[in-house]
Amino acid sequence: MSRRVLGLVRKEFAQIVRDGPLVFILLWTFTVAIYTAGNSRAADVDRIPTAIFDLSQSAASRDFLSHLRPPYFKIVGYLVTEDDVGRWLDEGRASIVVLVPPDFQRRIAAGDTAHVQVLTDGALATSATVAIAYIAGISGQYSASLVARRSGAATARLPAIDERLRVRFNPNMLSTWFGSLLELMTMFAMVSLLLTAANMVREKEHGTLEQLLVSPARPVEIFVAKIVPTLIIVLLLSGLSFLLVLRPLFHVPIRGSLPLFYAGAALFVFAMTSLGMAIAVVATTLAQAMMIMILILQPMIFLSGAWNPPEAMIPWLRAVGMLSPLRYFIDFGYSVILKGSSAAVVAPDLAAIAILGTAMFAFSIGWFRRSLR
Amino acid sequence: MRSRIVAILRKESREFVRDPVYLALAIVVPAVVMTLLGLGFVLDVTNLPVAFYDQDQSAISREYMYGFTNSEYFRLVRIARTTAELDELLQTGEVRAAIIVPSDFSRALRAGRTATIQVLVDGSFASRALIVTGYIAAADAQFNSTLTAQALARLGLPPAAPPISVDGRVWFNPTLETKNSIVPGLLVISLMFYPGLLAALVVVREKERGTIFNLYCAPISRWEIIVGKAAPYAAVAFVDYLLLFVMSVWMFGVRFVGDFFVLTTGAALYIVCCIGVGLLISVLCPTQVAAMLATFVGLMTPSIMFSGMMTPVASMEPSAQAISRLIPASYFMRMVRGVFLKRLGFDAYLPDFCRLALFGLVVYSIAIVAFRKKVA
Repeated sequence: MSRRVLGLVRKEFAQIVRDGPLVFILLWTFTVAIYTAGNSRAADVDRIPTAIFDLSQSAASRDFLSHLRPPYFKIVGYLVTEDDVGRWLDEGRASIVVLVPPDFQRRIAAGDTAHVQVLTDGALATSATVAIAYIAGISGQYSASLVARRSGAATARLPAIDERLRVRFNPNMLSTWFGSLLELMTMFAMVSLLLTAANMVREKEHGTLEQLLVSPARPVEIFVAKIVPTLIIVLLLSGLSFLLVLRPLFHVPIRGSLPLFYAGAALFVFAMTSLGMAIAVVATTLAQAMMIMILILQPMIFLSGAWNPPEAMIPWLRAVGMLSPLRYFIDFGYSVILKGSSAAVVAPDLAAIAILGTAMFAFSIGWFRRSLR
Repeated sequence: MRSRIVAILRKESREFVRDPVYLALAIVVPAVVMTLLGLGFVLDVTNLPVAFYDQDQSAISREYMYGFTNSEYFRLVRIARTTAELDELLQTGEVRAAIIVPSDFSRALRAGRTATIQVLVDGSFASRALIVTGYIAAADAQFNSTLTAQALARLGLPPAAPPISVDGRVWFNPTLETKNSIVPGLLVISLMFYPGLLAALVVVREKERGTIFNLYCAPISRWEIIVGKAAPYAAVAFVDYLLLFVMSVWMFGVRFVGDFFVLTTGAALYIVCCIGVGLLISVLCPTQVAAMLATFVGLMTPSIMFSGMMTPVASMEPSAQAISRLIPASYFMRMVRGVFLKRLGFDAYLPDFCRLALFGLVVYSIAIVAFRKKVA
């Protein structure tokens, strides 16, 4: 049996490696695409583009505004006329405009309240919510310091709390770590699904599947031969991502054990290739297979919990999400790479991936056998 | 010439119609994915799981904790008894933040000193960590202002007016519902992705089957082939657009204040562009596998990352802004946001219309030229 499988594996390899543009796209995927994704800051809510309309132009207003700084805010401009306010928000050049009233300094000096207006572009609801929370926090802090200054000596005895923040696992909250790892794990899913399904459907489209079937190879052997090359290629290419992008360019730390990560990755690729085989067994043309793949991939990728916090999702959809191996793999990947989790901590994730993978493999092979009869 | 292009059109449409499964998938899949993502892509940060370790165990430390547990932003998962327990909760991802209230908390506050609490945040999901720290800072500021007010009252001083008050006003989406920003965004992403994919296999499929030679030797010019192949897919994609639009407005109830005509014109132009991208990939790739992978990798994630769907383009790095300027999704995103939420005048969209038209012109020109090379 092993020689038969080996022969088939060699054939699959040759088919992939001979396709020059495919090899190029694969290399691109695991290097350039991961680099750009890491730099894209796609899910970030910090550095909110902020325009300032300071009608007070006083020392007090400048002091207050100096607290709006990175990483939370990115000052994109100082507005001069009232028309600018609407224009900048309309055109999306700024997501918030902070409007300091002309009497800002006078009111503060007089012990009154100065009303700062914050206009937010609600078209990006998350950024807007976060921006409002940040500004509320900043002005609260600033107000407290003003009160302290104002009431002079008595304030030495004003109680307050102060927080010492420690960010674990990614102290500078670098989105490059998050983004590049996410893209890598997404590509694991995408490439293993696509390559396997496409290679299998191609045999159907070209009519070469019959040749495989009349060969002495058994269905399981055909399946294994389709899965193994993808597994090897994807794992090798991901090594490239670590060596060329994640380590040297983004300095992503590898806190856990790399063999553990690769063991989990191999298990995950097995699950995704099995899913790919299942799709290939059902679809008759590559075009059909492609549409089914999107149907699965898009929700899988964007509901995996990396883009959106799972605790905010509606319960039944969260339950559906439990069926996605990517969900466990992302959890597993961040845990091992960034948190340095041991095998014991990630064992539930690994078990879930293994169960889903085996179920998929069994389903596709059962379906395949039935379709032969 | 007229009859030749009609012939190509008829051939392509027939091929499409004869695979009813594919045709059905091309229309149903976008709708299903839109439904799932529209329901699931909730970015609201609420119910953040947090844990406390209260070393003080006093009335005031409990009051401090209530400040968190009573808000919709936080959900108390556990009150830990050791630091190691907190570490483990963070390690397994059960909580995103842990707060340690020191044992001298109430003593320091009673003495009018500053008590330092320790906040531990899981930084692996970078953007979420920032949101968490922002929310915790806001909650702490709130607690501080209560403390100050109480202290002033105790000292017999008049309550100080807060020196600065912030009045927030939200434009375009006053209730800050995420669906109003996510669903129109999904429309843009879908219309980039599906037309691109539909078109990506069109030419390369004929290459694999060998039927491309029929086209090579037929008395048809290159542009007739490209246009004839693009048209049926553009038509299907347009049906997708209408369906997705109806879903966004009726099913999801997204606010729609603008002009449907402007949006539809923009969508038609955008679809033609995206079909063009797919065709170009199809012309350049020798196999269907390569074309499909190129489209997935080249269209799916970049259109989400660089179109400004979640992060405003203005806050990106210059290099990311450059990519954003190159992809039609960011032009159409501005248009869609404008029409759905902002009700701008037609001139506001004019630059984006021109950019889309230019993009289309360039892509189709390259596709036609590249197609010719293969003939030679």
